[in-house]
Amino acid sequence: MDLHIGDVFERLIDGLKDRFDPFFHATADGLTTAIRGLEGLLLLAPSYVLIGLVAAASWRLSGIGSAALSGLGLLLIDAMGLWQATMETLALVLSSALVSLMLGIPLGILASYNRWLARGLRPLLDSMQTMPAFVYLIPAVLFFRLGKVPGVVATVIFAMPPAVRLTQLGIQQVPRDVVEAAVAFGSTPRQLLWHVQLPIALPTLLAGVNQTLMLSLSMVVISAMIGAGGLGEQVLKGITQLRIGLGFESGIAVVILAIVLDRLTNALGQPRSRPT
Amino acid sequence: MNRTTPALLLALTASVLLGTGCKKEQPAEAPAEAKAPAKGTVKLVYVNWAEGVAMTHLAKAILEDRMGYQVELTMADVAPVFTALAGGDSDAFLDAWLPLTHKEYMERFQGKVEDLGTNYEGARIGLVVPSYVKASSISDLQAMKGELDGQIVGIDSGAGIMSTTEKALEAYKLDIKLMTSSGPAMAATLQDAIKRERPVVVTGWKPHWKFARWDLKFLDDPKGVYGGAESIHTLTRLGLEKDKPEVAAFLRSFKLDDQQLGGLMGAVADTKGDPSQAVREWMKQNAALVDGWLPKS
Repeated sequence: MDLHIGDVFERLIDGLKDRFDPFFHATADGLTTAIRGLEGLLLLAPSYVLIGLVAAASWRLSGIGSAALSGLGLLLIDAMGLWQATMETLALVLSSALVSLMLGIPLGILASYNRWLARGLRPLLDSMQTMPAFVYLIPAVLFFRLGKVPGVVATVIFAMPPAVRLTQLGIQQVPRDVVEAAVAFGSTPRQLLWHVQLPIALPTLLAGVNQTLMLSLSMVVISAMIGAGGLGEQVLKGITQLRIGLGFESGIAVVILAIVLDRLTNALGQPRSRPT
Repeated sequence: MNRTTPALLLALTASVLLGTGCKKEQPAEAPAEAKAPAKGTVKLVYVNWAEGVAMTHLAKAILEDRMGYQVELTMADVAPVFTALAGGDSDAFLDAWLPLTHKEYMERFQGKVEDLGTNYEGARIGLVVPSYVKASSISDLQAMKGELDGQIVGIDSGAGIMSTTEKALEAYKLDIKLMTSSGPAMAATLQDAIKRERPVVVTGWKPHWKFARWDLKFLDDPKGVYGGAESIHTLTRLGLEKDKPEVAAFLRSFKLDDQQLGGLMGAVADTKGDPSQAVREWMKQNAALVDGWLPKS
């Protein structure tokens, strides 16, 4: 018995490349423009303006402690001369997370309604989360050229599953009697989803958003191996030349970015009493 | 979901307004014709290896300051770099090690990349030890097996130097294991051994910053397993000669000798951040050499 499914995979990749090349390139160009635009937007204002905005948002959402932590962390990044790289990474992470959520949340909703779809999705989601990223890096480069786009694609593959799973879980956890009551009062399926299920599932759903962001951040170094730049590139430069200091600084910048995003998204799920 | 839509629209609008991101590394002294429309964009790819970083940033500075092109640099791992060249998405790569180290890639992408010849000769691969190690030849290693913990520290499993080292172990009948690791891990092991003055053997190559940092030597290879010297080649995508003949001509004549490359790498290694300052300084000091590379118009 001699069976190599790898050959089939290789042929599949080649076939896809030959057939859909124009489509892939158009996608790549569009996404590149969007990511570059977001980057430009983030770098438009001087760094302290953005730091102020983030600190204000943190304060409003989760209190003075978070605001101080986020503000000081971002100031440290700026002081270490990593602002530009950090904004590049932030643009990449936000784009990846956005794509993941736009695909993941609807899929999660559908899976919560359809048991067969949910069953079919499970092995797919499992393999997306566990397939070593290096395996699909080269196909991603083949399809989308070197640069930010294959980085986004690789990140989406890794970061999308929690959005699907937690959306599905959130909707399935809505108490049955609440759903029955809504139906008894004559709500349409659409009303049921928008006014009953999604609001109740919101904290779980936002946990999915939070997880997607965190997982996107854990892909920054791997994305840098296919030309995505940003902080991942700084980390690589540091470690490959044994400049432990540079590697550490860039690594800390990733951590700070994670803390900031974590605080912001976590706070969204648990609305505090608003300061008046 | 409906809250993310405005954000996306905003990003798209901004991108249309801004064209591209504000990723401009302005040189300290922009050339006089900086505002003239560039002749086009040259996409250079490089791997994060010291000699490639130095040479690629130098080529970028020359193409921009002296030839009026825009240059887009992309850093990636070596396999994606070859993939991008073969796919025609990138224009040139200045750091291909031939005939041995990147042999697998050259065979794989035969006829899909163009080899413009060497830009540096006298690169070398082999087994490297700190100079305090008594061994002088690969055949001395078997006697030192105990001190070496029975291992040679290697790099990534896909690298050409790894399969060549496996052949060397066979040819010299060494009962020693080749450990797969990575470039940084190999360098860290070397650093640690040197600090403690312990014997250590690593797979090594030159030019590399480790030779500037520590006192190292290659072990003799009487059986010639590692072949002669390696050269560093400039590779381009197919068709660059046709649509950007000036760029191809410059890349063809772009060559450095041992001392020039050593000086350039040293200058780049001493800068903390972006190498573009250091390479422009180097261009000033080596003006005659740089002038010789420019295509005669």
